[in-house]
Amino acid sequence: METLLANLGHGFIVAFSFQNLLFALIGALIGTAIGVLPGIGPVATISLLLPITFGQPATTAIIMLAGIYYGAQYGGSTTAILLNLPGEISSVVTTLEGYKMARNGRAGAALATSALGSFFAGTIATILVAASGPLLTSVALSFGPADYFSLMLLGLIISAVLAQGSVLKSVAMVVLGVALGLVGTDVQTGQQRFTFGVPELSDGIGFVSVAMGMFGIAEIILNLEKPEAREVLSAKVGSLFLTKEEFRRAVPSVLRGTVLGSVLGILPGGGAALAAFGAYMLERKVSKGRHLFGQGAIEGVAGPEAANNAAAQTSFIPLLTLGIPANAVMALMVGALIIQGIQPGPRMVEAQPDLFWGLIASMWIGNVMLLVINLPMIGMWVKLLQVPYKYLFPSILIFCCIGVYSLNNNVFDVYQTILFAIFGVICNKLKMEPAPLLIGFVLGPMMEEHLRRAMLLSRGDPTVFLERPISASMLAIGAVVLGAMLLPNLRKGKDAALSG
Amino acid sequence: MKINQKDVASGILLVLVAAIGAYLNMDHALGSARRMGPGYMPLLVFMIQGGIGALVLLIGLFNGPDPLARWSGVDTKSLVAALIGGSIAWLIVARVGGEFFASGYNGMGFGMLIGFFIMCWAEGWRLMGFVCASLCVFALLLEKGGLVLATVGTVVVASLADVQHHRKPLGVAGLTIFLVALCWWIFIKQLDIRVAVWPQF
Repeated sequence: METLLANLGHGFIVAFSFQNLLFALIGALIGTAIGVLPGIGPVATISLLLPITFGQPATTAIIMLAGIYYGAQYGGSTTAILLNLPGEISSVVTTLEGYKMARNGRAGAALATSALGSFFAGTIATILVAASGPLLTSVALSFGPADYFSLMLLGLIISAVLAQGSVLKSVAMVVLGVALGLVGTDVQTGQQRFTFGVPELSDGIGFVSVAMGMFGIAEIILNLEKPEAREVLSAKVGSLFLTKEEFRRAVPSVLRGTVLGSVLGILPGGGAALAAFGAYMLERKVSKGRHLFGQGAIEGVAGPEAANNAAAQTSFIPLLTLGIPANAVMALMVGALIIQGIQPGPRMVEAQPDLFWGLIASMWIGNVMLLVINLPMIGMWVKLLQVPYKYLFPSILIFCCIGVYSLNNNVFDVYQTILFAIFGVICNKLKMEPAPLLIGFVLGPMMEEHLRRAMLLSRGDPTVFLERPISASMLAIGAVVLGAMLLPNLRKGKDAALSG
Repeated sequence: MKINQKDVASGILLVLVAAIGAYLNMDHALGSARRMGPGYMPLLVFMIQGGIGALVLLIGLFNGPDPLARWSGVDTKSLVAALIGGSIAWLIVARVGGEFFASGYNGMGFGMLIGFFIMCWAEGWRLMGFVCASLCVFALLLEKGGLVLATVGTVVVASLADVQHHRKPLGVAGLTIFLVALCWWIFIKQLDIRVAVWPQF
């Protein structure tokens, strides 16, 4: 406990440096902005801003990127409540009760509930990250290559299972991602694989190009295909203060949402969207105001909003302790760390205490900032909502271009991004989910390395994966999870949960 | 039998990629399970991918119907025309286009640009065509033309994608000026990325 406090103290010293505070604020602001704007999500934004963070120290860079992720959870609910349009996928369920509240004239109360609930959940989740981090890390240090391989395999399986749509196709996308990750120089022999003699490919396919093409540009093309349905709101925000009755109803929902969100956030492939939906289902079943659902029940805002923010924070746990990304945003964080020369994994707590504890402290500071950004300044974000998409998309495009180019100062990356944009559109038309692909792409090269090392140690005997208890239990869980998805009832439940 | 066209197409795509990958992988030494060569993991991955792809395809024959978006004759014609036109444009500029098009990826980029413009002929491709073309314009213009010219070109071409802009060229002009100023301030003034601002001759 004392070491935890000392470490957190150290973290706050790191986080309170002028530069880190500034970038946490920038991250929170950008996050809120993209959260408010429908049609651009944290994955695209973070890949867009990756090149900008190269000049910064690793800690500052990660603090800013993290701010974008949880900032988007705050901002997404604003649009959901005021416009009945989710700014982010994770705020889809907030539209159900939040918009009803707004129509009842309680928009301010809904916004306040969402921001305060998120803040509370964020605080608890941050403490959880701080407490569990070192603990999990010490376990992770006893992992051998075989255990790592199985753990990553489990991560890939869960992320495919929890993705939207067909499980089989999501697994296929994971494998396709792993295949894309093969391009480049083989680490052990130095042989070029699938590079077609293109020198730019010898370091592998640019990870930013994949993310930006499939999530950024492809998204723009798909958004343009839909006619703009965003009627500018006339709803008044009204008083931000909750009545005593509302407060009493919201508190238990926030608590339940926090717990559920924290747990679901840790799961690979989980993350904010799943947490929000889970919390909504829970509230509809158990909360005292369940008979009011559909008419603007505050529980339906408080629970999911707390859950999505809690999940956004705890999804850092697998990344910081095991080096394994739980979702597409975390996959980008891995990319950011590797570009900074830091290998994510259990040694990070020891080797990079500034980064680890600074990030945790900054998460809490970021949540305080977001409270201020979102509540008193709500009017500003409502204005931002009125910027039409026809002005927005050329701006996003030009930022994408400059961002991709400045990665290596090479136009090849821009062309590569175009190809992935087209591929992203094709995937969308074929109902193939891009998120599992990105996770597979990031984990693939690491898995190959661990596989080769494990097999070398076992002298070519594949049973090593079943003999080591950790590895065997990971594989067993993976098999169970995959098997469970064959049950029609479970699959239906998942489809209902994810289609919102 | 209800065919799920989306799944069948996905399955074909997966199997195809796996087959091509496995074919290309024949150049790489497999090694043994103990000492894996550079070709071991790829073979494994492509085998799994091919298997899953085949499964997706097979199941797709029965779990439909889920038809693909309608594909008109103009769509096919413009796609073929774009591929041919783009390739010819690339070949021509690479030979006679002088030093600029012969170096780096500029010749290829020009071919892609022409191809994307040809695609815009069909209404179904128009959005993708203009958006991708705008990225090509950026890549072609940035190094020789500088950030300002590249920004102007990209924004103007991208704006073609939205019909709402066609009637209001002034809005596009305003947006362009605003974005040039913003990009200059962020990327040159604040971040100082190493890019020319004005055309280089």
